[in-house]
Amino acid sequence: MRSRLTRRGALGGAAALALASCGGGDPPPTGQPRAGSGAGLLNSLVALEHAGIAAWGAIGEVLRGDARRYAGVIREREQAHAARIADLVRRLGGTPPQARSDADYAQLFPRMHSEADALHFARDLEERLVRAYLDALRLLPDPEQRRATAEIAADEAEDLAVVHALAGGPAAPQAFVTGTA
Amino acid sequence: MSTNRRQLLLGAAAASLAAASPAAAAEPSDADQLERLLGLERRLQAAYEAALARDAVDPELGALLLGHEREHVRGLEQALGRRRPRATAPPPKVGIDFASRPRFARSVLALERETVAAYQEVLTGFRNDRLLQPLGSIMACGAQHEVALRQVLGDDLL
Repeated sequence: MRSRLTRRGALGGAAALALASCGGGDPPPTGQPRAGSGAGLLNSLVALEHAGIAAWGAIGEVLRGDARRYAGVIREREQAHAARIADLVRRLGGTPPQARSDADYAQLFPRMHSEADALHFARDLEERLVRAYLDALRLLPDPEQRRATAEIAADEAEDLAVVHALAGGPAAPQAFVTGTA
Repeated sequence: MSTNRRQLLLGAAAASLAAASPAAAAEPSDADQLERLLGLERRLQAAYEAALARDAVDPELGALLLGHEREHVRGLEQALGRRRPRATAPPPKVGIDFASRPRFARSVLALERETVAAYQEVLTGFRNDRLLQPLGSIMACGAQHEVALRQVLGDDLL
């Protein structure tokens, strides 16, 4: 049991690294929004959402039954988030990043041998998404941008709660959901 | 981030909030907005306390969610620069149905949803940048409470 926990801990760390590289390694926007407009940060959120969409596709392939259905629902929610943030970038005169191929993302994801592995990866993914949107709240200058990130942060927290529930734990384990658990 | 660190952040932000609270414009001040959120959190706290007393919620779940609401109230009090909770009249329980566990879950779910929406509105125009993340982390907890209550009701979780 001890060795399994250690392996799963490593899986989570690898997931965090993979997702960080998915979000941070994309090319800068080709459009020219003004400095300080928030476009750069919004573009990093779009890139992270693209990685999240691919990740939920991979997670769903490992899950079964109701858990697989929720993976599909959450993937669709991430697609809507990516589209909403990309629209904010376009309104600033920027060009949001395009998604890479699923194969490109897949080589960055951890191997998932069981539903437990998949839910562990899903938890790390949603923690990172919550953290990214809460960080963005502080850094984005425009009320409309903040409104979008606040609403999406709440969505991501819900998705994380579903992952907790699917893993057999309480849906809402903490009083302050920071994405750093 | 631990709860203690979160509480420290809320407390540290209170000083700058107090300095900024005399509103220059007609828009509500940050302090006004925090008072609004505090009122909603107190209603939730009172609802879970009453539900536990009346067996209108599963004891384990009720205690967990009540504990969160107490931490939210404490955090918001700290953000307002108060070292201890201000004595207030009991918040109204209008609209909360304690007749059965499902009926309580349904009615408190509506209050949780209203509270999350209030946080989203407040975060959009809040001026004190240092409080945005702590307030966002409370909002996120409220969103998770909604999922926990839908689970109790047997509803779709999302």
